[in-house]
Amino acid sequence: MATRDARGDRVAVRIRIGWAALAVGIAVVAVLPFFASDYLVGFFFTTFLFVSMAYGWNLVSGFTAYVSFGQMSFFGIGAYTLAILVSRNAWPWPIAVLAGTATAAVLAVPLGWAMLRLRGPYFALGMLGLTQVLAMVASAWISVTRGGEGIYLPPEATLRQLYYAGAALVAVAVVVTWAVDRSAFGLRLRSIGEDELAAEAMGVDTTMAKLASFVLASTFPAMAGGLYAWRLSYIDPASAFPAGYEVQTILMAIFGGAGTVWGPLIGGFLFTAVGEVLWAKFAEVHLLLFGVMILIVLLFLPEGIIPLLRRRRMRRRAPVGPAPIREEAA
Amino acid sequence: MTAPLLEVRDVSKYFEGLRALDGVSFTVEPGVILSIIGPNGAGKTTLFNLITGALAPTRGDILFEGRSILGLRPSRTARLGIGRTFQIVRPFPGLTTLDNVALAALAKVSTRRAAERRAERILELTGLAPFAQLEARNLTLAKRKRLEVARAVALEPKVILLDEVMAGLTPTEVDETIELVKKLRAMGIAAVAGIEHVMQAVKKISDHVVVLNFGKKLAEGPPSEVMRHPEVVKAYLGSQYAEAARKG
Repeated sequence: MATRDARGDRVAVRIRIGWAALAVGIAVVAVLPFFASDYLVGFFFTTFLFVSMAYGWNLVSGFTAYVSFGQMSFFGIGAYTLAILVSRNAWPWPIAVLAGTATAAVLAVPLGWAMLRLRGPYFALGMLGLTQVLAMVASAWISVTRGGEGIYLPPEATLRQLYYAGAALVAVAVVVTWAVDRSAFGLRLRSIGEDELAAEAMGVDTTMAKLASFVLASTFPAMAGGLYAWRLSYIDPASAFPAGYEVQTILMAIFGGAGTVWGPLIGGFLFTAVGEVLWAKFAEVHLLLFGVMILIVLLFLPEGIIPLLRRRRMRRRAPVGPAPIREEAA
Repeated sequence: MTAPLLEVRDVSKYFEGLRALDGVSFTVEPGVILSIIGPNGAGKTTLFNLITGALAPTRGDILFEGRSILGLRPSRTARLGIGRTFQIVRPFPGLTTLDNVALAALAKVSTRRAAERRAERILELTGLAPFAQLEARNLTLAKRKRLEVARAVALEPKVILLDEVMAGLTPTEVDETIELVKKLRAMGIAAVAGIEHVMQAVKKISDHVVVLNFGKKLAEGPPSEVMRHPEVVKAYLGSQYAEAARKG
């Protein structure tokens, strides 16, 4: 029993350290715009957008293992809806962002219904294709989107406002993921990620669960897209459907740990911080070094940081190794 | 007369002209253990896939408590009361033993906590409680098979389809599984056990036996009677043994 008490103490200490770190992080984020340069505030704002998109990706791909390469579809839908609304009616900027998010969620229902019929790599590529189709629609539907000319937005939202909106979006993403992780819904999503056929046999309506996660996940890039549009004060097909952001978002979530609550946050911040440092110190070869780092992570840490920490803790907790696995006699 | 719990009515399933099942009929009464025996390829797993709705039959009808369940997806039949285990075990490898069972319990309760409480009781019943926090991938084959049964029990089914739960187990593990199946019967859960080889288990647990061979029903009846049936002996051991069996 003594060991159990000691273990309980260790866990309690770790939890307290975690809460303390979180409190410090929130305090820093809250006061940062009053001290930091616009450059740094802008850098944090961008990081918030990426982190929240990593959370969105995590909700659909981390939990259900339906790996999406097309979350930027909703980024673009959010950005364009907002830009179109604002260019025709003078909507206050937060309302326009929410309207873009709602539109993306509504469109995610039929899109998800169609796309989730695909599995594995077909789903991933299908989503990639969806983003490209939407970018082409944005280019061609000139009467509404003004095509390649793009739409200018009035400089209504200040950087500081956008910064706090981005921070709030990250907070919402963390809380939603935390709640999903503990919920019945989260367990259903995980079971789909583990074995969809078995999940269905255990009474999980896999179609509905996947669709729900798809729609929920669409709202985060949509909102990020809206905030991004305000930051640029301009939107065109290339900026609304930025292909490179997709990969970056996915790497952040994987870096931290797909399917975990804190993975996208930690992965996102580490990823952008490392990228920034490499850029500042090794301007000429920073992309090369960054690429090498990504390779190293994917090769040696494919499950990400959080599962690695968790596993180390498990090993310490259980001195007796796991029961030997006997292979199936086929 | 009330309708049987489960009725398979003249069911056929063709795969590209291959007759996996051909006009098979039988009924399962509440609380009864029915064994479906037959050599590899006889159609046992196909039959289970038809009953759960994972596949649609080419012809025929399947009734549960008197109503046709054709066209229902597996999650619906699972919630109606048809649990199943898989021949190639497929517990959720990355979930803990507890979460594996809690997931199935969610078919009956709505909160995660209530599902976990229910799962804890079922783990006690099935002897898996010591492994509750272990990821399922770390369990032995026997325990993974047992976990599959536990998961199916968590659905609170009226009937469980057990696909080869005995195969590949040591004699001791087979005995433990037999005890488990008897426990289910004591709980009022009917079982349909697909069994290829483990004949002593068939004798010990079955109230009724259906023999399949090449997708057709070969014989049906109480276990002792069916096992002596010349056609059955022939299907299993070859005709010379059938001759010997007849001579006594």
